[in-house]
Amino acid sequence: MSERTRNTLFVLALAGMAVALMWLALSNPTEVDRVNRLGASIMCPVCQGESIASSPSDMARDMMAFIAERVAEGDSDREIVDSILASYSGALLLDPPVSGPTLVLWLAPLVALLAGVGVIIWWRRQPEPGPEPEPEPALPTGTRSKRRTAVGAMVMIASVAAVVMIVGFFLQERDPALGGLADIAAGSLEDYSNETMEAVIATYADDPQIEGMRLVLAERYVRINDYRSAFPHFFAVANSTHANDDQLVQALLGLAWMAWDGNQETQAALGLLDQALAIDPDSVIARYLKGRVLWCGSGEVTDAADLLTAILEEPDLPEETRSVVAADQAAILNGEACR
Amino acid sequence: MRGNALRWTGYGIALLTVVLAVVLASRFGHDPRLVPSPLIGEAAPDFTLEKLDGTGTVGLADLEGEIVVVNFFASWCLECRLEHDDLVATSNAFAGQGVTFVQIAYQENSNASLAWLDAVGTSEWTHYLADPGSRTAIAYGVFGIPETFFINEDGVVVGKIIGEANSLILGRTIDAIKRGERPGQSVTGDTQQRP
Repeated sequence: MSERTRNTLFVLALAGMAVALMWLALSNPTEVDRVNRLGASIMCPVCQGESIASSPSDMARDMMAFIAERVAEGDSDREIVDSILASYSGALLLDPPVSGPTLVLWLAPLVALLAGVGVIIWWRRQPEPGPEPEPEPALPTGTRSKRRTAVGAMVMIASVAAVVMIVGFFLQERDPALGGLADIAAGSLEDYSNETMEAVIATYADDPQIEGMRLVLAERYVRINDYRSAFPHFFAVANSTHANDDQLVQALLGLAWMAWDGNQETQAALGLLDQALAIDPDSVIARYLKGRVLWCGSGEVTDAADLLTAILEEPDLPEETRSVVAADQAAILNGEACR
Repeated sequence: MRGNALRWTGYGIALLTVVLAVVLASRFGHDPRLVPSPLIGEAAPDFTLEKLDGTGTVGLADLEGEIVVVNFFASWCLECRLEHDDLVATSNAFAGQGVTFVQIAYQENSNASLAWLDAVGTSEWTHYLADPGSRTAIAYGVFGIPETFFINEDGVVVGKIIGEANSLILGRTIDAIKRGERPGQSVTGDTQQRP
């Protein structure tokens, strides 16, 4: 046996042993091997580019323990990985799957290699340059230069667009779904539930802009005769240093209405209405409400009639308001009882 | 001719390389944790966890038919501290309205979470739970905290907030779920991954 043959046999024997060892290692992995292999394929969600097998973080340790439990329970690798991806998505895989959109990522190097080989072959098949051809009827130098620049620019633009589109396609899945809840938050107050307004008011009680929400909510409570819930909001606005005059008047009117309608406290109601009229003497609602309280509560029908008459003298009074005030004025002047 | 072709090929490759590098580099500023949660639209992972104060357990099955807001928090998380009052206020506001808040301590022992909650105050309507071994955090795919999941009356995950929530967005999301909508995922700010 020649030395060359012996050497060849020796190399073949070594290779055979290596293959056998690899086969044994891969075909009979221990549970620990499986856990480590699975852990090495999953990115640690609380780290930067580390697998859960290599990360020292507590979360990675917990995830490794979770995998170990599943391995011990007899779950397959696929089942274990799928259960994690069901919560975290494929973004947690360190190796993108060789399927779907990420297939292109695996194929790209091969395509690039083939393209490179193709270019080299094409280049080598090009004929050597022969003698200088007759010069073409020359375009003016400036025209040729412009044409070359234009072609170059188009190639550049097309290249940029292609690359951006390709990269954008791959990154699309990883973008967060912005909007959604943010869009909801931009809605109008009418869409807010009472509970949401209560929660917002509780956490932003000191915000100067919260008074508007308090009044909307309090008015809602008044409409369903829930004066107990409305009171703290009207009261807070009436005592707020942030509220503007309109808001103060609206809050005082709300308190006055509840004092009179809810508790039959005529004097308290009249006091609150006077406070509102001190801020806005022209307030039609304050004057009308005061007129009704005087008529129905304290029996001061003359003052009540005077107030309603003054309102009716306003030229710009909306027709609907005018008819309501006029009906009450007529009833007072006719000596009718409050209704 | 061969020279021209080679030159253009070289330009093209150089240009593509530069553009690709710029575009990929621009992603370094993006947070890979902001992937849309695959849980949205799916049945919420079940859990039964012990209360932080050790007075019993609470399971998702116990809250069947209610809207459940599941928030992962820890005392070491700044954003969690910032949103705490809003969670308490919203939980209180929706008490008795078919909405239950569940706050699950993340990567923190119960004593530390309890001490902090005792100091800042809690809602009597919220369940504060421990998650030893992070099994529930793993089941919900938590990348960092705070993260808040919304489960509708049918037990389906219909919303998720990544980052600090406030009472407005919490309340509006619950309002939307009550109307039968599925708000989806929203990113409101940063999260913390570990202490």
